[in-house]
Amino acid sequence: MKVIEKEKVQIFDAFNPFQGQRLKIMNPDGEIINDQWMPDITENRIIEAYKNMLYARIVDLKAVSFQRQGRLYTLPSNFGQEAAAVGSAMAIRRDDWLVPAYRELGAWLTHGLTALDYFLYVGGSEEGCRFGDDVKMAPFSVPISSQLTHAAGLGHAVNYKNGKEVVLTYFGDGGTSEGDFHESMNWAAVFGCPVIFFCNNNGYAISLPRDKQSKVEMLAQKAIGYGMPGIQVDGNDFFAVYKATSEAAAYARSGNGPVMIEAVTYRRGAHTTSDDPGRYRPGEEEKEWESRDPLLRFRAYLEKRELWNQEKEDKFSEQSKKDIDNQFAEYEARGNTPLEDIFSYMYKDMPDLLKHQMIELQSFQSRRKDE
Amino acid sequence: MAVMNLVQAVNSAIDEKLADDENVLVFGEDVGRNGGVFRATDGLQDKYGEKRVFDTPLAESSIIGAGVGMAMNGLRPICEIQFSGFIYPAFNQIISHVSRMRYRSRGTRTASMVIRAPYGGGIRALESHSESAEAIYGHVPGLKVVIPSTPYDAKGLLISAIEDDDPVLFLEPKKIYRAIKQDVPEKLYRIKIGKASVLQEGEQLTLIAYGAMIKPSQQAIQMAKKEGYSIELIDLRTIFPLDKETVIASVKKTGRMVVVHEAPRSFGVGAELMALANEDAFLYLEAPPTRVTGADTIVPLPKGEDLYFPDAERIFDAIRKTIKF
Amino acid sequence: MLYIFKFPDIGEGVTEGKILEWFVKKGQKISEGDPVVKMETDKVVADIPSPRSGVIKNIFGKVGDTINVDDALVEIEIAGDEAGDEMEIKKKEVPVEEEGYGVIGHIEDATTDAFLPATGEGLENNADKVAATVKTKIMATPVARKMAKDLGLDINEITGTGPAGRVMKIDIQRAFSQKQGADSLSVKPIADRSISTQAVSIPSGGKTEELSQIRKTIAARMVESKFTAPHATSFEEVEISRLVEIREEIKERFSGDGIRITYMPFILKATALALKNHPKLNCHLDMKNNRVIYNDKYNIGIAIDTPDGLIVPVINNADTKSIVELAAELKDKSNRARQRKLTLDELRGNTFSVTNYGSIAGIYGAPIINYPDVAILGVGRIHKKPIVKNDQIVPGNILPLSLAVDHRIVDGADAARFLRELMEYLAEPVSMLLL
Repeated sequence: MKVIEKEKVQIFDAFNPFQGQRLKIMNPDGEIINDQWMPDITENRIIEAYKNMLYARIVDLKAVSFQRQGRLYTLPSNFGQEAAAVGSAMAIRRDDWLVPAYRELGAWLTHGLTALDYFLYVGGSEEGCRFGDDVKMAPFSVPISSQLTHAAGLGHAVNYKNGKEVVLTYFGDGGTSEGDFHESMNWAAVFGCPVIFFCNNNGYAISLPRDKQSKVEMLAQKAIGYGMPGIQVDGNDFFAVYKATSEAAAYARSGNGPVMIEAVTYRRGAHTTSDDPGRYRPGEEEKEWESRDPLLRFRAYLEKRELWNQEKEDKFSEQSKKDIDNQFAEYEARGNTPLEDIFSYMYKDMPDLLKHQMIELQSFQSRRKDE
Repeated sequence: MAVMNLVQAVNSAIDEKLADDENVLVFGEDVGRNGGVFRATDGLQDKYGEKRVFDTPLAESSIIGAGVGMAMNGLRPICEIQFSGFIYPAFNQIISHVSRMRYRSRGTRTASMVIRAPYGGGIRALESHSESAEAIYGHVPGLKVVIPSTPYDAKGLLISAIEDDDPVLFLEPKKIYRAIKQDVPEKLYRIKIGKASVLQEGEQLTLIAYGAMIKPSQQAIQMAKKEGYSIELIDLRTIFPLDKETVIASVKKTGRMVVVHEAPRSFGVGAELMALANEDAFLYLEAPPTRVTGADTIVPLPKGEDLYFPDAERIFDAIRKTIKF
Repeated sequence: MLYIFKFPDIGEGVTEGKILEWFVKKGQKISEGDPVVKMETDKVVADIPSPRSGVIKNIFGKVGDTINVDDALVEIEIAGDEAGDEMEIKKKEVPVEEEGYGVIGHIEDATTDAFLPATGEGLENNADKVAATVKTKIMATPVARKMAKDLGLDINEITGTGPAGRVMKIDIQRAFSQKQGADSLSVKPIADRSISTQAVSIPSGGKTEELSQIRKTIAARMVESKFTAPHATSFEEVEISRLVEIREEIKERFSGDGIRITYMPFILKATALALKNHPKLNCHLDMKNNRVIYNDKYNIGIAIDTPDGLIVPVINNADTKSIVELAAELKDKSNRARQRKLTLDELRGNTFSVTNYGSIAGIYGAPIINYPDVAILGVGRIHKKPIVKNDQIVPGNILPLSLAVDHRIVDGADAARFLRELMEYLAEPVSMLLL
């Protein structure tokens, strides 16, 4: 059996999780501390990245606000994880696959999803997952880590068809304990699937802190158990995330197989709008992470280079809010799911059994209306 | 006596048994420090310590599997699965081991454990948080399946489940977790598993429901009363083993049966009860037994939910049709 | 603090009331004495005033709902401590509840402080309720139940002779026959023979035709009538030369109007007049209640032969109609009968019936009474026959009559007397003019 020599990628060697090494490029004050690892990226693209992150944050905060007003249902908070989401999604191409969990709003918006789609989903309509042809995403996945097996399969098919796409899939620190995590990582490595296993280590799985989830020092260490490279990065550092993901994408795209990236970030909000983090984590910790916020440091970086200012911030925020409000209005106008839709999407052709149930329910509803 | 809602009654039952039996322990995701996402285990870790009430990694298969191992070694684990929709990763453990341990070892090793999970829909939630798979579990030989509908019943049944030497799937209808308040004894008491409860007596029709469907059934009965109908209401409480005796005695008396469940129609608890009515009460039937259920579709997301779940009007419609047959 | 105001006992033994109108809504401030709701009871319609001042927090019940005395009406947020009021619900210590936990979804909260009492099940001092003696229904298959329902019987009152007391089809048939007026002689109804399950052997090769609805109905009615009422039939001949003459004279006059004067209008008229003096033949026998109902109307059913079978339209109030009217109605009804265009009303309400088989063939017959009548007149073929007149043998026009009566109520003499009067009218038609 011919053993294919895997490409040696510098960055994976330089930041060895078994030696506690973490890739950091931009510190919390917005200063570049590791210039040699700065990614190849134009100024315009950097500004675009910041805007993506800011837009994602506004959508997220507005969503939470709408939820509190009773106009959306329970939804997860993305607050504080924007760099991990946007940085990784911008490092892949639009025709690459993105396999989400449920807490990567910034990534989805970058990869073609709209705020309207998001509102539809967390507003309780399956229309939110009706992705257009230009949105190469799998639907959001609620059962933890179950989507990782799909990512492996998607990647497997890419190879099968001699394609050049990669698959970027997300999960949390909690997700590394699920059986599906183990099975997917194993499969992808064994078959050389072009998958980037991106772990959003935000410190908590609802209330369980990361150190009670696993005994490893760094989750990126787990990669070795499957024979793939693993790297830990500062998840609140846009450049680190972007760099690591770009390298991983190039590696996978060249036929070297999967990579695991652990982005260390923090879930500044609650698990969902129905969770109270005050019960299980200290306020000081939250304050500490506030100072490490991804947008804060990125803005500082930009303003230092006069690429951004308060006026631009206000203008962009205003624009975004208007645009998001419009999309929200569109969502609200859509109303309830029609009865036929509840039945039409079960099978390709509706079996008679189901047709009868639908008709029965329809006639009951119209009778009820008459009474 | 104290006034408790259903989730508080669950908490009370676990509290009583932790105090009563040192082999009882509770574990699952977020049950320790956080007290459970629905607060079902609130305060218990503080009271009994981390050895007996603890958080597990995010891994359902091992929650159940480790529970099997503990039971084999003489403990009585209460495994919490955060939502019944997340039982599926542990399905293999339940079907291949939990249900079979006694049988395959001729009773020398038993899976004396409780698997608790909030179940059922109507709470405006995302996918996987509205599942009703009780018929699937009822179809697996070796399991007991219990679904309470009131705080009083919940505590008594859960205590029985914990004390039961057989594995019990204790499904808690989360829609009514906080909707009912009831006087509940602040001590140990047991309600027999496998015993249905006749909530109201009636003459013309037997209405059978459980869990969150009891309330709309009661509302439907009020509507029926206005038309002069007298309806008997049975709360099944245990899905397996079904209380055939109570159900059949009632159907023989009334001659008519309507079953209500939010789970999909085909191959469900309704089908089973209709088969039993046919087998054991055929000659007493005045009308075909019927069922009011969810459709054979995935539970719709919140924007389609209201059309899916049986409500008082749909139930009353079935009652009226059956009586007028 | 929350105060639940319950529907008070307004006296006079009233236990429940219907909500007619709400005077308040959620969030509204009210003062003590302000009307809260308008209730209707079986004694009075009353406005119920609030015993407290405060803000309405919750309203229970909608307009049109019926509630019992002591059911909650409204919840009022009242200011300050007002301890020691006997109408207040005792508030138990309930633990403070967190807002909105649960990770996902919306769990509804119990809306009031009201709570269910404990059921007591499983507590040592509470023995399990002894199961009430099970009351069961009659056992019968669904097919049997349907049969009973179709025949208008209450299956619970039928004694079953099947296994374990099951009600069988034969039991239902028996009960049905009894209902039709079987007397205390408890004769085994002949109807049972019609449901014999003995195999019959028919030669093969013939054509099989399913019975039409009409035929099935006719069959059932015939069985019902013949095997319930003991038929007694008398035969008579009436010499109608006078009638023949009159008919000859007048038929020309009306043929232009398209009206064909046959003998039937005369027979109908004569029948109606005769019945007036012989109510026994125009009654209905109600054996179930042991009584006879004398009809004061003379609605005569006429048996019409149609391609689909026998149809019997009814000519109402035949006594009040003229010959010409009767002729016209006869023609109209018989045409429409053949076209199946009669209404249901035109097929019922008969008090007596006539069947004219003679128009085709047949001199004497033994017709079957058209239930719920007690008698039927069969009209045979009018034919010439030698008769004795003034001790001479002369040709006569004979109209043969066959009268079948239900011998439970109509005796032979009643039948004979009716026949005699009928024959008088037909023999001397002018007498019909005079009455």
